[in-house]
Amino acid sequence: MDNEHYNQKPRRKAEFINTPNLLKAKVGSGGLNEQIIQRAQQLLEKHAEDFAPLADIYLTRMKAAIDDAQSSEVTDAELEDKITDILVPCVQLKANGAMFHYQLVTRIAGKFAQFMEVVDCLDNEILNIANAFHTTIKIVVAGKIKGDGGEQGEALIEELDNACNRYFKKHNKN
Amino acid sequence: MSYSFQNTKILIAEDNKPMLFLIKSVLQSFGVGTIITSLDGDEAFHLFCQSNPDLVITDWMMKPCDGVELSRKIRNNPKSPNQYVPIILMTGFTEKRRVINARDVGITEFLAKPFNARDLYKRIHSIVEKPRQFIRCEGFFGPDRRRKVPSKYAGPMRRASDRVSETNNDEPLTDIDFR
Repeated sequence: MDNEHYNQKPRRKAEFINTPNLLKAKVGSGGLNEQIIQRAQQLLEKHAEDFAPLADIYLTRMKAAIDDAQSSEVTDAELEDKITDILVPCVQLKANGAMFHYQLVTRIAGKFAQFMEVVDCLDNEILNIANAFHTTIKIVVAGKIKGDGGEQGEALIEELDNACNRYFKKHNKN
Repeated sequence: MSYSFQNTKILIAEDNKPMLFLIKSVLQSFGVGTIITSLDGDEAFHLFCQSNPDLVITDWMMKPCDGVELSRKIRNNPKSPNQYVPIILMTGFTEKRRVINARDVGITEFLAKPFNARDLYKRIHSIVEKPRQFIRCEGFFGPDRRRKVPSKYAGPMRRASDRVSETNNDEPLTDIDFR
């Protein structure tokens, strides 16, 4: 006889709270005029803030984290932190690139972030791939290659993507 | 008739000065009356307690106190003047595991970076038009994390008051584009 059901503990109690919609009371109804949204978008598209100093900060952090991982064997206990150290500046590059007109940086960094989210070690091959991504992003920023980089940008992405896929194929991680 | 943000107060926490400037500019063009800014989470919480804004927009990755920690303080710290304030968390992370962990501290909306003006507006619009009830239970306090609605029922209705929801059943859990 299954007494598991009979002996189960009471489910945790949840309190449901309906709060007054203060923001709605202040802003009213009807949404924002389309022209206002477009004007805001133009601000984002036409600003002249320089991305290079910001990118340099993240690229330096990323390189330091790669070099640190390369300098000695990464233990299991250190692995998650070391991966995060490399990943975080890369995610910052992905997040900020396109906001400052460097869509290609966002795409390259996004690819690398996806790669780093699934790796389960930091061997030399992975760190070499990390260096390749780092160098590529550095070149894009130094060359002031704004936008998606056209056909060359597409070729760069494909090449880096192939490097990741070769790694997965070699280690049966598809 | 359209929204007027003239009487609203919004706090932005973002450690990246150029990005902070951009977000502030977008909110100004939306007509937000008062914009308070901070470069880190600790200062942002202090400003939150002082000014009690209507909405908080925070970056995730800040040091020493990040956007997730700031949100936790807003929801749980006894000094918080409004534990129910809507919070938009901006992030470059789109990996599901990380986003779900952040959601569990009581984030109202996520905004994936890079974003455009319409993305930001859509999050604010969702907060204004589709507020969620708060839930307090063991281990969680924040807006209801469930967004899914019952599937569309195609059968006969038993009562005159019955109606089928028009809401999209596939609405994602967090409004973020997982990869």
